[in-house]
Amino acid sequence: MSRNAYSEEDTLPKLLLRNHLKFDSDQVAVREKHMGIWQSYTWKDYFEIVKYLCLALVDLGLQRGDRVSILAENKPHAFWYELAAHSAGGVVVGIFADCTPPEVEYYVKHSHSRFVVCQDQEQVDKVLEIQENIPDLKKVIYWDPKGLWSYNSPLLMNMEEMLVLGRRIDEEHPDLFQQHVARGSGEDLAVFLYSSGTTGNPKAAMVTQEALIGMARAVNEVDRYEENEEYLSFLPIAWIAEQLFGVACSLYYGLRTNFPEEPETVQENIREIGPQVVFFGPRLWENLIRMIQVKIEDSGPLQRICYRAAFNIGKKRAEASMKGKSPGLAVGALSFLADKIVFGPLRDNIGLRMTRVGYSAGSAVSPDVISYFHAIGVNLKQLYGGSEIGVVTLHRDGDIKPESCGLPLPGVEFHISDDGEILVRTKHMFSGYYGSVEKTREKIVDGWYRTGDFGHFDSGGHLIVMDRMEDLMEMADGLKFSPQFCEVRLRFSPYVKDVLVVARPDESFVGALVNIDLINVGQWAETRHIPYTTFVDLSQKQEVIELVRRQIVKVNEVLPEHSRIRRFINMHKEFDPDEAEMTRTRKLRRTFVEERFKELIDALYGDDETVEVSSEITYRDGRKSRITNRIRVVSV
Amino acid sequence: MSSLAEENMRVQELALSFGSVQALTEVSFNVYDSEILALIGPNGAGKTCLLNCISGFYHPYRGSVTFKGRNISKLSPSKRAQLGISRTFQNIELYTGLTTLDNLMASRHIYIRYGPISGSLFLGKARREEVRNRAKVEEIIDLLELAEVRHRIVESLPYGVRKRVDLGRALALDPKLLLLDEPMAGMNVEEKEDMARFILDIQELKKIPIIIVEHDMGVVMDISQRVVVLDFGIKIAEGEPDSIKRNDEVIRAYLGKPTGSQGENDEPERVQ
Repeated sequence: MSRNAYSEEDTLPKLLLRNHLKFDSDQVAVREKHMGIWQSYTWKDYFEIVKYLCLALVDLGLQRGDRVSILAENKPHAFWYELAAHSAGGVVVGIFADCTPPEVEYYVKHSHSRFVVCQDQEQVDKVLEIQENIPDLKKVIYWDPKGLWSYNSPLLMNMEEMLVLGRRIDEEHPDLFQQHVARGSGEDLAVFLYSSGTTGNPKAAMVTQEALIGMARAVNEVDRYEENEEYLSFLPIAWIAEQLFGVACSLYYGLRTNFPEEPETVQENIREIGPQVVFFGPRLWENLIRMIQVKIEDSGPLQRICYRAAFNIGKKRAEASMKGKSPGLAVGALSFLADKIVFGPLRDNIGLRMTRVGYSAGSAVSPDVISYFHAIGVNLKQLYGGSEIGVVTLHRDGDIKPESCGLPLPGVEFHISDDGEILVRTKHMFSGYYGSVEKTREKIVDGWYRTGDFGHFDSGGHLIVMDRMEDLMEMADGLKFSPQFCEVRLRFSPYVKDVLVVARPDESFVGALVNIDLINVGQWAETRHIPYTTFVDLSQKQEVIELVRRQIVKVNEVLPEHSRIRRFINMHKEFDPDEAEMTRTRKLRRTFVEERFKELIDALYGDDETVEVSSEITYRDGRKSRITNRIRVVSV
Repeated sequence: MSSLAEENMRVQELALSFGSVQALTEVSFNVYDSEILALIGPNGAGKTCLLNCISGFYHPYRGSVTFKGRNISKLSPSKRAQLGISRTFQNIELYTGLTTLDNLMASRHIYIRYGPISGSLFLGKARREEVRNRAKVEEIIDLLELAEVRHRIVESLPYGVRKRVDLGRALALDPKLLLLDEPMAGMNVEEKEDMARFILDIQELKKIPIIIVEHDMGVVMDISQRVVVLDFGIKIAEGEPDSIKRNDEVIRAYLGKPTGSQGENDEPERVQ
């Protein structure tokens, strides 16, 4: 069957129906590691589960256009419920699994969801805690019954019960499900995607079925997915990227979606899967490098020599291959050897041996990260997009510029406004923000979506995104300065987990609040026999401060004169999404953090060598306490 | 409430001594089906001695232990384990050189029924048995959230996790009665809360009685349905947590105050 024959299906459930007819039980659609074994579900299993769940949802009162919130980690069940809701004409609202009850309340209430699908007791507890504030709530559905055996809230319903109910309805009305699916059309809303909310309350971008499918077609134009290619589902389903790759691309192109056992076991599970297509956030790619670098440091001298030699060869080869050139006979031959001896086993260790293409998006990633992965033979590409516009640029094979976000995808138009803002026009644009016509009007002007990002196109047509418009700063000498530009480069160091770079309009230099990487710096300290107790203690060690200073000096060399970091503080605590310092996608909430650590930033621009901070700590269970520390301000 | 429930174990007039030291004196109590019974008392009160008498490591010179209507006083620890009395240890008893999975599989040995020949050739029966037992073990791994450390060597695990593996090992025996010796000792608040959650989950899922020896009064009062208090080897009180909190004898044992002079706030947990 040719690809063109696929194009009739304009909704995700229709694609599922097509896959069911085409593959039936011959091909595995989804795999999940459960009870220590990879459990497979064929397209037939997938189809039947979705069918029963859909019929049960409708029976419980789900109307076309109703919202269904899904509060879960990446599990096949979450995807089954998503497709079941789509089949019944419902709209899916993904909620991050680590959201606190008030956050859950915001999403459920704002989207007017009448059904909430929860993974387990942890998530059910959150919803039950806030149920009184959500009078419209009809059912809270869960699939992992552990710990929930004696709960008797009338709102609760188990997935098993729903399957039984759905099966019974299907026996009575065998064609009902197909009728539901047939009523769907491409213009139906598919998902609400909440913007991560670096500023203000999250807004819900409404995305239609055909927009999701259209985006899938557009990325396929570039990377041509094959049936049964292994895809690792790891990004939160509340993200456009997972909706696009994990849901739309999987259904459209028959990618096989694999689910890790637990978020903590991904490293182990990815090796077992050997995925061809992976999509991680920049943080994860950075972490992988950190892990490799630390392990190399821990290895024997011979291994270190081999790695360094191979890495130099790999870098040369990558420089050529990223430009689409041949590396030449000598480098080609050497890199073949390097690949056999070092990179192959290395990629195998991190589970990326089979990886044909890796993606990074969500926030800026250091060009060093992209170059690094190309050097070790992982085809890492950056793409640019957002909940509102989907994916709009992507690197092409043989034309990869580490500092860019790649070339525009087919059907996407760009315009750079006079003050440098990136404007986008695409067929697969969102249909506005839910419940807020003004906010939609603010963002879409004459059909152009205002991204709020500052950037430009280079001579090769690559999009280069510098920073958020509102984060760009003008310094005392009138020069523009982008904090993100410095931050991503500093984060490339294995010892720096996060950093907030600050400038002030009336000051002529840049300062930084550094969040050291506890594991890597801890290991570094141990090998040098530097004793430490807590995070604070470690971060304030003279040797550690010197280590961070050296990292900054190194990065300063590549920064423009006026953006160089002159003073910094090793933070006494980590930036934490639980304290609202970061979004759930791990972007710093700049304004909030600058306000919260104002005394530290004042100290950066003051004359004192130390500063006393007392901060409120929020524990995971919501309890709070206050601690006081004296921390040091260091000049570079 | 307890009088309505089925009696699971009866401990009658146990007496144990080491030379001239009287460790337990005429201790009697009953354990009922699906209850969490806490055993508390100051240091050296004889709590662990009592657990050891129940699991068969110590032999009392007088008294008897009846389990499901059968007198088991004369049985060896391994026989008692086969009857379904399973325990964890204060100092964690695991094969430190094996993985979590192997530790749990090893404790399934009483259920594994194949001979050395089919075992070494991994013939049909051996294979089926392994699969069946592995499935049981995986249920425990799932219940206690041990997936992350399934293939890790126990020696390399942090203390709190090892405690959980030890609990998993006890559970792998499919116990009919679970004895937990200070399951929360040495843990931080978060780990204690997790452990309390696991104990409640086990109780809810398996519907078996659990006897727990614990020093943390907050935990004891929270999760147990009944409490037995020992002092110098003598049972000084027995009852529901609320009544134990107000019991004069108990307060005296913990605080050393003369009977009757305590105020409202002098709850035993203050000692901690």
